[in-house]
Amino acid sequence: MSNMPTPRQQSLRTVLFWAVPAALLFLPLATNAYTQFIVNGMLISVLVTLGFSLVIGNLGQLAFANTAFFGIGAYASAILSAKLGIPWILTVPLAGAFGALGGFLASVAALRGIRSYYLAIITLAFGELMRWAYLHAKPLTGGTDGMPMPRETMFGISLSDDTLKFYIFLAVTVLLVKGTLNLMRSRFGRAVMAVRENEIATASLAIPTARVILATFAWSGLVVGCAGALFARHVGHVFPESFGMLQLIASFAMVLVGGLGSVLGAVLGAVLLTALPEYLRAFPGMEELFFGLIVAAVLVAMPRGLASLLRRLSPVFTERYYREGA
Amino acid sequence: MTLLLETTGLSVRFSGLTALDGVSFRLDEGQVRAVIGPNGAGKSTLFNAISGYVTPTSGSVLLKGEELTKLSPHEIAEKGIRRTFQNGGLFPELTVLENVLTGLHAQTEGSFLDILLGRAKAIESEAAMIAKARDLLKLMSMDHMADARAGDLSGGQQRIVEIVRTVASDPPVLLLDEPAVGLSPVARAQMMEIIQRLAGEKGVGILLIEHAVELVMAAADRILVMAAGARIAEGTPAEIREDRAVLEAYLGHA
Repeated sequence: MSNMPTPRQQSLRTVLFWAVPAALLFLPLATNAYTQFIVNGMLISVLVTLGFSLVIGNLGQLAFANTAFFGIGAYASAILSAKLGIPWILTVPLAGAFGALGGFLASVAALRGIRSYYLAIITLAFGELMRWAYLHAKPLTGGTDGMPMPRETMFGISLSDDTLKFYIFLAVTVLLVKGTLNLMRSRFGRAVMAVRENEIATASLAIPTARVILATFAWSGLVVGCAGALFARHVGHVFPESFGMLQLIASFAMVLVGGLGSVLGAVLGAVLLTALPEYLRAFPGMEELFFGLIVAAVLVAMPRGLASLLRRLSPVFTERYYREGA
Repeated sequence: MTLLLETTGLSVRFSGLTALDGVSFRLDEGQVRAVIGPNGAGKSTLFNAISGYVTPTSGSVLLKGEELTKLSPHEIAEKGIRRTFQNGGLFPELTVLENVLTGLHAQTEGSFLDILLGRAKAIESEAAMIAKARDLLKLMSMDHMADARAGDLSGGQQRIVEIVRTVASDPPVLLLDEPAVGLSPVARAQMMEIIQRLAGEKGVGILLIEHAVELVMAAADRILVMAAGARIAEGTPAEIREDRAVLEAYLGHA
């Protein structure tokens, strides 16, 4: 019946959590510039998927505003760097704040009783509206030409350096994943799931459901907004097209392949689906076909995503929504 | 007897339909008060009006003299009136332990920021709540199920876990909406024993909707009989047994 980790497995989990980023610290020594660029993009995808999964998986709301949060973060970073001369690294938390604001706006729809397919449509419209704004607010966003990120150095190294970017992206990703895990393994994480399972019963337990919904959307927006700021620096030039339906579908696939509502799943889904197209380049002309087939195969074999496979292998990967000890 | 909960002239009207018609009653500490009546009598509306899910059109709900009538469900729950649901309110995808912990949400300390940053205050409070939840499960001999998915439990076990979750925060008042429905005769007797123990040992005031008249007659201290949204009788089980209005309206024979 029980699939819970023993204390030893819990310590192993903690070791694993820190071992992965620790090992990644050495990655730039073992890789070439191209792979480094791909891995940097992977870290961004991890954050985008994590924020998305939180809302559609844990909170159970069919909200697709994550592309909007991503764009808001990227444009906030670009505008603050280029127009106001704020050092890029400082625009990362600011982009997170703008993303959180976007999340707050999206939650207003859910809180006004717009749910299910209606919430899906209205949040999709929000994303398209933002894209329209990037295209038409030309003096601010550069319109179709987009916005180049200004040249900048940190510690005397140019911010176009992928190794430097990697360490910054890794630090931001680890911080946000750890913060999200802290939130999930607490009364907040339980309340988020409770709203998904039975909102009426949740309120009867003295849980302010409206505040829980608002906070979940805002945190999701913050995580994805920060990812937007990283993305702006990653590609060096922000275009409206980066924040359309393709981006949305890609992150939706990452959420599902990894496992809805699982932090581990968000990481796995993002890593696999970012890496996969690179391997498929060996089959020119067949890339999309293979990509689609692999995604479909994973979902048919594991409807609960890659995370469920790991859970079956060992209780070390069982996700709990409480925290006993440190 | 200390007065816990009191309603005065509580009414709920939905566009022309009177679902609750000026119902007044009181609930004392340690008292089990059953609410009975045929389908559509307004029993669930009474529960919803007390717990804030339906706004009363008129009348008031007082907990220890404090007016609760305009508060939202989560605020009323925080004031100390907790309830269960007729169709079961457990969160099936959460474990038994996690379910009980949701009942301790308001008691768990630490702000959003404390939790986010993993500050000691939040972690210590969380650990204390986990210990409390495990103790409560043990008391009901459910501790061996702590890590099971709530949706995998039997109907009777789910009802018991829901009660544990509802009483975890030590609320002075409990509203139980058909806690024994769908249970085996043995589990029903067990449930009634749990209810009487909560009232007798912890002094909880319990309002109980139950269809099985014999269970009600055995378990309740006082009974409120409703029909068509209104109170038609009130008294001890012995008095209700003899009441003409009840026999006519509810038990169906005069």
